[in-house]
Amino acid sequence: MHTIALVGNPNSGKTTLFNALTGSTAYVGNWPGVTVEKKEGMTNGHKILDLPGIYSLSPYSPEEKISRRYILDEQPDLIIDVIDATNLERSLYLSTQLAELGRPLLLVLNMEDLLIKDGIAIDTKRLSQMFGTPVVQISATKKTGIDELKEQIEQSLANPQTPPCPLFSSSIERKLTTLIEDDYLHDIPQGRQMRWAAIKLLEGDELFLETMPPIPPELNTYLEETRAHLEELYDDDVESIIVDQRYKVAEKLARESLVRQEVKAKRFTFDVIATHRIWAIPLFILIMSGVFFLSVGVVGGGTTPLLEGFFESLAEWVTVKGESWQIHPFLIGILSDGIIAGVGAVLTFVPQLFILFLLLSILEDCGYMARIAFIMDRQMRSMGLSGKSIIPLVIGTGCTVPAIMSTRTIEHQKQRELTIIVTPFIPCGAKMPIFALMLTYFFQNKWYMAPLMYVMGILAVITTGLLARAIDRHKETNAFILELPRYQMPSPKSVWRQTKDRTLGFIYKAGTIILLASILIYLLSSYSFAFKTVDAEESMLAIMGRVIAPIFIPLGFGFWQAAVALLTGIAAKETIVSTLSVVIGTSSLTNFFDPAGALAFMTFILLSSPCVAAMAAMLKELDSKRKFLFAVVWQFGFAYVVSLLVRCIVLIIV
Amino acid sequence: MSNTMDVLAVGQKGSVKAINAPKALKRRLMDMGFTKGVGVEVIKMAPMGDPMEVAVRGYHLCLRKAEARSIELV
Repeated sequence: MHTIALVGNPNSGKTTLFNALTGSTAYVGNWPGVTVEKKEGMTNGHKILDLPGIYSLSPYSPEEKISRRYILDEQPDLIIDVIDATNLERSLYLSTQLAELGRPLLLVLNMEDLLIKDGIAIDTKRLSQMFGTPVVQISATKKTGIDELKEQIEQSLANPQTPPCPLFSSSIERKLTTLIEDDYLHDIPQGRQMRWAAIKLLEGDELFLETMPPIPPELNTYLEETRAHLEELYDDDVESIIVDQRYKVAEKLARESLVRQEVKAKRFTFDVIATHRIWAIPLFILIMSGVFFLSVGVVGGGTTPLLEGFFESLAEWVTVKGESWQIHPFLIGILSDGIIAGVGAVLTFVPQLFILFLLLSILEDCGYMARIAFIMDRQMRSMGLSGKSIIPLVIGTGCTVPAIMSTRTIEHQKQRELTIIVTPFIPCGAKMPIFALMLTYFFQNKWYMAPLMYVMGILAVITTGLLARAIDRHKETNAFILELPRYQMPSPKSVWRQTKDRTLGFIYKAGTIILLASILIYLLSSYSFAFKTVDAEESMLAIMGRVIAPIFIPLGFGFWQAAVALLTGIAAKETIVSTLSVVIGTSSLTNFFDPAGALAFMTFILLSSPCVAAMAAMLKELDSKRKFLFAVVWQFGFAYVVSLLVRCIVLIIV
Repeated sequence: MSNTMDVLAVGQKGSVKAINAPKALKRRLMDMGFTKGVGVEVIKMAPMGDPMEVAVRGYHLCLRKAEARSIELV
């Protein structure tokens, strides 16, 4: 079996191509850094890997180190270099580095459709001649050229050829030749190209030198002399000279293969207002409010009561029919008060989540996300975060897990950790049902309550950020460099696929975790420890719930039902809704909570630790038990204190 | 007084002369295409005037003024 690696700049469409080749449905979006982990798939019997996007093979950035190590250590049988054809120069700069790794290389010019739109044409034959590798032009989104690409993959695998290395100016080439002839490089590890090794040696690349035996003194003297000579000649350090040389090669390749370039008149674009000095931030707030108004308000408001009614009558129907068919009351109970009440309570929210996921996918696909990072950077920085932190926060309104994963594009470690800690404060889609449920019974006709929950989440992010910044003694500044991709019409196919996957994921949870939890909760609340049918008040669940319930007395929900609901919420947040429906029954909620307690309950859920999947993502991304523990304790403590405050305020005001 | 990229106004163009930054940042900026002699154009500023959007080698990227200050122009 052959191994193929997809390599290329961020946002060049590697994952879209990966999906087109393998028929899978991996997560795609239009901002640099959607893919943060390598993904494996199969195409035509070959193993194919989708690697995170990189701009270079420098020894500084973690993704670049990973990709470089992967290619050198795993020796894929073919590297497919995915190139954003509208960004030829910068893409070819990476290609010049890939060509030196000694693996067969295939250039794929992606985004053919955008090229045509721009009135640009690339002479692929000429590029192939000059660069010395096969070149295929495709559009991964529109699925053009995929068959030719598959054919070329087979040819390249059947007849593997390492590409020629691009040549630099003669003063550097002479030095490289001397280095290649030196005995030292004859011991380089298997698979390393001589020329590549010579360049790394000249640059003094730390990662490369770690893998090599110590440099003999004579060679070291030669290297130092050479570096000094070149530095004087080019008035720059050797590493920069090499970058410069590579870009010269890329420039030449791009210049000579571009055959037609019509200059188009600038049209009014969305960008004028999206990044407008005054209107950009109001527009962002408006867009996000619109997303929630449409999903929760319009669609949720319309469908939730209907579905609630449906599940209620279904439960009733089952009870009546069950009794007439003389089915054991135990089974009827499990079915109507356990499964239908629990799972139904969660399924009620499918339509509004579908709309939420749909709108978020459109935002992710159109290129707006990177602009939000651009316009919000200044504000985020004053809270110790980076402009890039806003992307996880927006994704977090859908689901916290991918949001936490997406923090990987934040270069600065401290800012990244802080972003991971605050992202769960943004209520995810699964917390929405809880708020909706409580609002229906306690704050009807108070339209401002739902937005208030989001505002509180945002305030929690800001407070934590400001505190972290105040405590941090070394206020180091760091780089914020982000490519702004082109806007594009979201592809209906990919938007639909992502929306469908996320919605089905939610329904799947309802059919598995929630179903099991509902049955379990029903059983535990119907039996005592002696396995006798008892009143809920004496059930196993009540006894267990009473152990932790006292903690919540100050918050106004110190009864066992709430404690149990919160506990089951650890599995998945929407379980809180199903548990409450099973142990209390939604219509009796008002007998248990007073409005102040209800609001405190919502606040506590909003801010306290997320579900187990999100916690696992936090642990993995923080990569430190101590930091993870801190994050969880902070979230819990913060939630507790704020909920207490909220309750006191409501009690005083009302 | 050296002329750096952060002082360019929206719509102004320049040509890179040198990058004066620590090793890792310098390499990153060069990897993104800021090499000697390359043309840059400031496209716009974010609200509050920082960061800035710059066109280089036919694509757009944003960077903070602090980084733009390390890019010296001719």
